[in-house]
Amino acid sequence: MTKPIDPELLEAMAQHRTSRRRFLGMGGIALGGLAMGPTLLAACSSDSSSSGGGSSDGITVLNWPLYIEGDEPSTSATLKGFTSSTGIKVDYRNSIDGNESFNTKYQATLEKGQGIGADLIVLTSWNAAAYIGANLVQPFDSAAFPNKKNVISRLANPSWDPGRANSIPWAVGQTGLAYWPDKVGGKITDVNAIFDPKFKGKVTILDEMRDTVGLTMLGMGANPATGTTAQMLAAVDKIEKARDAGQFKKVTGNSYTEDLAIGDTWIAVAWSGDVAQLQADNPGLEWVIPSQGGMLWVDNAMIPVGAKNPEGANKLLNYVYDPAVAGPLYESIQYIPPVTGATQYMTATAQASPFIVPPATPPLYEFDVISPEAAEEVERAFVAATEQ
Amino acid sequence: MTAAAAPSRFRRPRRENDGDDSGVSARRWFTPWLLIAPGGLWLLIFFVVPLFSLGRLSLQDGGLSNYSTVISDNSTVIIRTFVYATISTLAAIIIGYPLAYVIATKGGKYKNLFLALVILPFFVTYLVRTLSWKILLFDNGPVVGILQSIGILNDNQGILGSPFAVVAALTYNFLPFMVLPIYVSLEKLDRRLLDAAADLYSSPARAFRKITLRLSLPGLFAGTLLTFIPAAGDFVNSELLGSDRTVMIGQIIEKNFGKEFFRPELSALSFMLMAMILVGVIVYARLLGTEEIA
Repeated sequence: MTKPIDPELLEAMAQHRTSRRRFLGMGGIALGGLAMGPTLLAACSSDSSSSGGGSSDGITVLNWPLYIEGDEPSTSATLKGFTSSTGIKVDYRNSIDGNESFNTKYQATLEKGQGIGADLIVLTSWNAAAYIGANLVQPFDSAAFPNKKNVISRLANPSWDPGRANSIPWAVGQTGLAYWPDKVGGKITDVNAIFDPKFKGKVTILDEMRDTVGLTMLGMGANPATGTTAQMLAAVDKIEKARDAGQFKKVTGNSYTEDLAIGDTWIAVAWSGDVAQLQADNPGLEWVIPSQGGMLWVDNAMIPVGAKNPEGANKLLNYVYDPAVAGPLYESIQYIPPVTGATQYMTATAQASPFIVPPATPPLYEFDVISPEAAEEVERAFVAATEQ
Repeated sequence: MTAAAAPSRFRRPRRENDGDDSGVSARRWFTPWLLIAPGGLWLLIFFVVPLFSLGRLSLQDGGLSNYSTVISDNSTVIIRTFVYATISTLAAIIIGYPLAYVIATKGGKYKNLFLALVILPFFVTYLVRTLSWKILLFDNGPVVGILQSIGILNDNQGILGSPFAVVAALTYNFLPFMVLPIYVSLEKLDRRLLDAAADLYSSPARAFRKITLRLSLPGLFAGTLLTFIPAAGDFVNSELLGSDRTVMIGQIIEKNFGKEFFRPELSALSFMLMAMILVGVIVYARLLGTEEIA
């Protein structure tokens, strides 16, 4: 009468997949912290600085989940190798669950020029640009970080940080489409499939403005890396109309993976790292960078002001930017290595993976680092279009 | 309703003392304050101060216009939130009252077992409880399959993403908060009153209405507050089981509070939510006449 639940599915659901932004709830922590006002915020963060990262012979790294082998610092080959070759201990915490929650927690303290108990932080380009602009981070020391020259050329010279003086990519991921070919009836190559009425109610889009608006712009023939605010707003408008027509099952953050895993979602705007993991359990699931192109996002490592051991942080980045170290690291975490030559140190399987070595075409675009005013305008329109 | 009862109990001894307060020992005056101090301090630091800070934040940038902006921008979401919270509270009463009644009056030696069963789901995390609904209710799953085969749902209709899923999950998640206070008030009900009513030729239905129901109103009131308030502020159920058409106020706040430019407006929205709940509770208390009962 009814289909029994697939045990693999149960497992997939039971397994809590934490991806770039840690799931729900964590926002609540940010909320609570903010409500207490700057004074208490400062108190909280000075507390964290005394509790960790204090000793000058070690370094403290705040990073996103799944950005180190096995998501487990104690067994990470990269960190172990770094400590044994330099003697510097690494207190690595995979505690960053979102740019906005990070800002809520730490920005006020950094603005006062105080340390946050971290020697290295990792933020997405648009946010990293703001930190650099506000002098909340300090430049690298080229003597301790000579391998900086190994950064891949397309990411070597962003407009917001010429010559990568203050920031260096830690992880580079893609936003594309994940879909079930058996449900949509074949292959999908056009990004506008997410707006196709045939799939009404079976599509999820991400609540991250830059991902969803960027892909929509590509479908409209605009370039998200150079587009105008008007083009971005036109894309938001298109999203709003589709939402009003019931096109989307959900506009969501990380929880899209659950609906996708159980097959309730047919097509999802998805992050490459999530799909790499989902495919391990769901071989039928397809990943595609649409013919018009996909989105690229970059999380950048920076040394915040007030860091106790900037020297050690430079050395860690230098170690990671050694292609022989980067190869196995990025093979393990399944993101595009930002280090020239790293792929040579990967297995053939990894070299063939579209998550690690995306083909040259279709192209990938990084969403333009627009002015805070423009970002606010588009964000507001996006929230109104997708939530209110 | 201890909360409502407490002030009146405080007032009474003080009124007695009013006549000769020169004779009141310092300790007698001091003790209640000492007892209040830990809770009061806690509330001051973790409730009043953040609330004040939130209020100040809500007036930044746009000032009072933040309030009108959030109301007009989120009117659909606000109405939806209160409709969902109201329906799930009513559903919790309809399900919870008979349950509490049966446990309290017919539970016998199994009372504690039944109560434990009511609380049992709470041994599982809120998130996992809600996530497990997804396994039950997904489009290709058993529940939807059965409902489709007996014709309640169309072949391409599902449950997940619908308002029904969200309201049902809200009801489920807050049901114990309804059952327990009602149970407590029914448990301590003096059965002899019902015997007396019967002796005076009252029908059981009338006795229930005049005695049982009236005396359990404080429990019902407490249960309603404990269900309605968290339901109105909830952001998990709709995020996990709903769709972009079931967005609740809590979700808007949770998703956007990190965006700096949104904070003043969202603080205003939080205040609006609180004010609206407060008004709702006061109206409800009036309708129920709870002050007299407590």
